Amino acid sequence: MAYSNKVLDHYNNPRNVGSLDKSDPNVGTGMVGAPECGDVMKLQVKVNPETGVIEDAKFKTFGCGSAIASSSLATEWLRGKTVDEALEIKNTDIVNELSLPPVKIHCSVLAEDAIKAAIGDYKKKAASKNQSVGVNA
Amino acid sequence: MPFEFYEALGLEPKLALDVEDLRRRFYQRSRESHPDLAGSEAEDRMALLNDAFRTLRDPVLRAQYFLQQNGIELSKDVPPELLEEVFELNMALEEIRGGDESALPQLEGARNRFAGMQKEIDLELEAIGARVDSGDKTALEQVRSALNRRKYISNLLRDVDKELNVHLSN
Repeated sequence: MAYSNKVLDHYNNPRNVGSLDKSDPNVGTGMVGAPECGDVMKLQVKVNPETGVIEDAKFKTFGCGSAIASSSLATEWLRGKTVDEALEIKNTDIVNELSLPPVKIHCSVLAEDAIKAAIGDYKKKAASKNQSVGVNA
Repeated sequence: MPFEFYEALGLEPKLALDVEDLRRRFYQRSRESHPDLAGSEAEDRMALLNDAFRTLRDPVLRAQYFLQQNGIELSKDVPPELLEEVFELNMALEEIRGGDESALPQLEGARNRFAGMQKEIDLELEAIGARVDSGDKTALEQVRSALNRRKYISNLLRDVDKELNVHLSN
């Protein structure tokens, strides 16, 4: 099975590898994994609390080329989107963009899960922040 | 047919098995259906017996098979703390592969911790298995949780051991 050119491109030149400050209230962190293959993926978003727009996204993935490419692509797509738009990203979008074969679809699912987990973490932080200063969310 | 590995060896589907008894049954039935003795239609039977014995003698493979036959697949569900640890360990592995050996002690420490966790999970599996065998169907979900974690840990240990071997043999 050969990787598509887009997968190879993301694998060889992954975008937005790195990490953001986990304790920053505007940063949401999603950590997901796949026991079957041992993959683990960390994806983080930094959100502008005024506009709800994702200003930065970083990832670090330990896994196969498809898992790395899926999360790399995800961070590219996340930048500039609002958190609600980000939740619209579907694993099938990633599959189509990267031409992933059926045996690698679970990698795109992992990336979608990571996005949801990161946004969920940000929302949780934002809600508790609002609560602590007495603002109704 | 569900649970056909158990059926092939004349056993009730249970998570706890006496491996010696299993071996005796396997040899007994293998003799009965050896291709030379019982003709070519026995080849399929022999293949089934081999698969059944290989799967059922190993507690982890057996539990996986048992779940599968109950219509339960392994999932991505692992505790977040385990994910964190797996992530950290992968970071250390990456540093070592990049030539920075300062993470080696961390790797060896983590190796021992994960090996310990694997042993604990094996004991946990035994205990939950006994509950499943006594008819507690809700315990099946715990079997799945234990297997999810175990799979993660054994994949990781394989990678870590590979790396430690490279460095210890240098």
